[in-house]
Amino acid sequence: MAKSTIYAGLEIGTTKICVVVGEAKRDGTIKILGVGTAPSRGVRKGEIVDFAKVQTCLNDALVRAEEPSDVMIRNVFLGVSGSHIESLNSRGAWRLPEEQSEITEDDVEEAKEIARNVTISQDNVFLHSVTRQYIVDGQEGVRHPIGREGRLLEADYHIIHGVRGRVQNAVKCVREVPLEVEDVVFTAIAAAQVVLNREAKAQGSLMIDIGGGTADYVLYEDSMISASGCVPLGGDHITQDIAMALQIPHHRAEEVKVTEGSCQYDDIPADEILRIEDDNGFVIGEVERAFLNEVIYLRTREILDQVKERCQGHIGKLAAGVYLTGGTSLLKGIDVVAQDVFERKVTRSGSAPVSGVTATFENPQYSAPIGLIRYAQILDQEKPIMSPLKRFGRKMADLLSAIVF
Amino acid sequence: MVEYHRNSLTELTTPGSLKTCIVGIGGAGANVLDRITLDRTVDATLVALHTDIRVLSHSMAPVKIQLGVELMRGVGAGGDPDLGREAAMYSREQIRQAIEGHDIVFICTGLGGGTGSGAAPVVADIAKNTGALVFLTATMPFSFEGKRRLAQAEDALEQLQKRTDALILFENNRMGELILPKDGIQKAFIQADQLIAQSLRAVSTIVTTPGLVKLGLDDLTSALSSSNGRCLFGFGEARGQNRGSEALKRALKSPLIDQGRLLHQTKTLLVHIAGGDSLTLLEVDAVMRQLGKNVPDQTHILFGVAVDAKLGDSVSVTLISSLGLNQLNTIAAAAPPVDMLPIKSRTMPSVLSAVAAQPAAKVAALQVPLEMVFGEEEVTQPAVPEVEQVEMFATDITEQEILVEEVAAELPANEDEIYSEEEIVEEEPPFSYAPEPEPEPVKPIVRPRIEDFIPAIARTNTSSLAAVVARAAPAEEAPMAPPLNAVAAKKPTSQEEQIAFRFSNDEDRGRFKNTEPALAGGGEDLDVPTWMRLKRKLKK
Repeated sequence: MAKSTIYAGLEIGTTKICVVVGEAKRDGTIKILGVGTAPSRGVRKGEIVDFAKVQTCLNDALVRAEEPSDVMIRNVFLGVSGSHIESLNSRGAWRLPEEQSEITEDDVEEAKEIARNVTISQDNVFLHSVTRQYIVDGQEGVRHPIGREGRLLEADYHIIHGVRGRVQNAVKCVREVPLEVEDVVFTAIAAAQVVLNREAKAQGSLMIDIGGGTADYVLYEDSMISASGCVPLGGDHITQDIAMALQIPHHRAEEVKVTEGSCQYDDIPADEILRIEDDNGFVIGEVERAFLNEVIYLRTREILDQVKERCQGHIGKLAAGVYLTGGTSLLKGIDVVAQDVFERKVTRSGSAPVSGVTATFENPQYSAPIGLIRYAQILDQEKPIMSPLKRFGRKMADLLSAIVF
Repeated sequence: MVEYHRNSLTELTTPGSLKTCIVGIGGAGANVLDRITLDRTVDATLVALHTDIRVLSHSMAPVKIQLGVELMRGVGAGGDPDLGREAAMYSREQIRQAIEGHDIVFICTGLGGGTGSGAAPVVADIAKNTGALVFLTATMPFSFEGKRRLAQAEDALEQLQKRTDALILFENNRMGELILPKDGIQKAFIQADQLIAQSLRAVSTIVTTPGLVKLGLDDLTSALSSSNGRCLFGFGEARGQNRGSEALKRALKSPLIDQGRLLHQTKTLLVHIAGGDSLTLLEVDAVMRQLGKNVPDQTHILFGVAVDAKLGDSVSVTLISSLGLNQLNTIAAAAPPVDMLPIKSRTMPSVLSAVAAQPAAKVAALQVPLEMVFGEEEVTQPAVPEVEQVEMFATDITEQEILVEEVAAELPANEDEIYSEEEIVEEEPPFSYAPEPEPEPVKPIVRPRIEDFIPAIARTNTSSLAAVVARAAPAEEAPMAPPLNAVAAKKPTSQEEQIAFRFSNDEDRGRFKNTEPALAGGGEDLDVPTWMRLKRKLKK
């Protein structure tokens, strides 16, 4: 691991398929070598519904990423999302043997094992098990328990799991391209690695990655991940609402949303009329701007409300506030709505500065794919300490077993 | 081919503005001049000086002076600064003639070689004697060029320090970061030249254009005043939403600033914000506030604002500061080992940060022809009042400082106010999806709400859009948001019920027809448009 490694992150989103090639340096920085995007077809609410279409789009995106970066992409970190992804916090307690008072790596492994031994549905598969903290003899907030004196070691885990078949579908689709999937990562976890900085995580923050089909969120408290999940609502729903309210085709609605849409409708005079044109530029109708905005507002509000509902009990602890990222976070006025919903400071944010193609990391649409690179890097850095080889093996075994059956 | 008018370029001065002259010395200088000519970014007289006749003949600068014709016979100085100096001495008279009559003279050169290091001090001397302000924009050699060249550069620098008013030094090593590793070396040099051209343009704009909060030469020199300092320069321009912060972001992304990291060390930082007529105080405040996060509290911020109609709806942010070489190296060593490696393995090339500023250059380039027209018209007018203007700078200083302080004092006071205003633009009463038993209007605003559209949209076979338009015509329906029960009372027909039934149909899920429904806590299908569901609830 003496030299930098090149990773590729792939996110199959509802509106776009994005491949990011990045160089993870050993000093912790990331350089983006190339970004390839292609509009996505055959994806609904973050999940693939049409394999063939997705693969065509994926090939497009791949070529576009490979060309500028001069990298042949063979392995990818795959970002997955979808309503089936759920999370829970689990704690495993391990009492040290009588003759032993110092915590060793084996004890930690043991505690982890117990913590991870939670009952999830038979059909589900673990995506991530993130260490939140260790508790040594009741003392909370221990990060590195190895070498400490103690009798009772508890490992606090945040476990993210999803439906095996649906995760497999995504993996399978990518394998057929063919690409090798190095790891499957929940997109919100990836995005949080670049959107939230250390301080935000420590103070408590909620990152919502509102994409086309889903709103994925991760909530951090005291540098620990406390809640995460996916609301299967996103920008696509906003577009659909517009399309149905104005009775215009979906792609026109998308355009109206992007160019004219806003979540704020109170200060718009009632008589401000917006002309809706069809593909040829003919006016097919007029609509009050306030009406359009209210339609958008209602949906946006609902998405955020849904996220809030799922984070109930944690909202009070968010000192760093709410971070919005993802394509839909570009919607005008969404920060005001979020402020209203969460009553916390709201920041719209793209990825943290990484070097490379500048325009990319400014754009919140690319938070998740860039985050995948960062995730890969973190995984790499953790290797010697946490022996994730085992973890990795377990994951691979999981995946393999799913294929066999 | 790039078209360019040799004659008009030489006389690009509008009356009242300071006359600037850019002198490019040696190979590096000639390259920068070419870049400036191509981009037409700076209104100035361009003069190219070189000992090598071949380089000179390829140069695009309108005025070319071959140094030491008799001595050198058109051959380069071969890396010997003494030869370069001698050659320049031979051509003293010619140089003086070219430089004379300008208020500001920029000398661009690459230090370390023969002509650049040798002739630059001579030219600086001459320029100083003509009474002009002398700026030096120089690049320090790559570390792989060897210690000898570095020493020559340092020597020249020492001499130049005494003769110039301000030094803007660029570290070539850092320039390597401007490009992607696989890009050609040519591109690397083009990028570097572009950056220097940009800085020249920025500096000359800052110093010459009138501003609301004016920055003068004094500010510039104090920003560049660290001993043995290297210039930290960042320029960003942006338009559209959030243009202020975007511009700042771009400026901070300049590799010479290293993502703003280097700013943590600076003692003085010059910030210049320019925009069109639409530039608001709020934007300026926001930019300064954001910048404040990148800069330690004790840094002396020299702040200037200018409104320049040329910029249209874009805002540009220029950051200039300097950092001692030692500091720079320690910081650089802490991050990527920049100075130790050859270019191709160097870390962090962010091309686009340099390229991002490009549109700005293009905009300026487009504007030049316009000015040229004016410039030509006014050539006959002698530009006398320049000297007075320079003096005016001096008298301005105190005023400026007060202004800067005032603004600085005002900012914190305003901050909370503006901030809170920004954050809580609209405080709406909490919106409830569940229908309230009480027939109170959800929002007390007298404007047609979504509830009004129920009858219109309920008729699914006709366009709701048409209904909206139709509704706008009869005045009696429009003015008030009726209480919820009133809406319900309007249409208690059987047709309504039928439609209510259909709402739970798959139809209403539109695009999401064939997907797993997104069910909320109450079992409602979230894929159905929110407004539709809301209406259904309201009707019940």
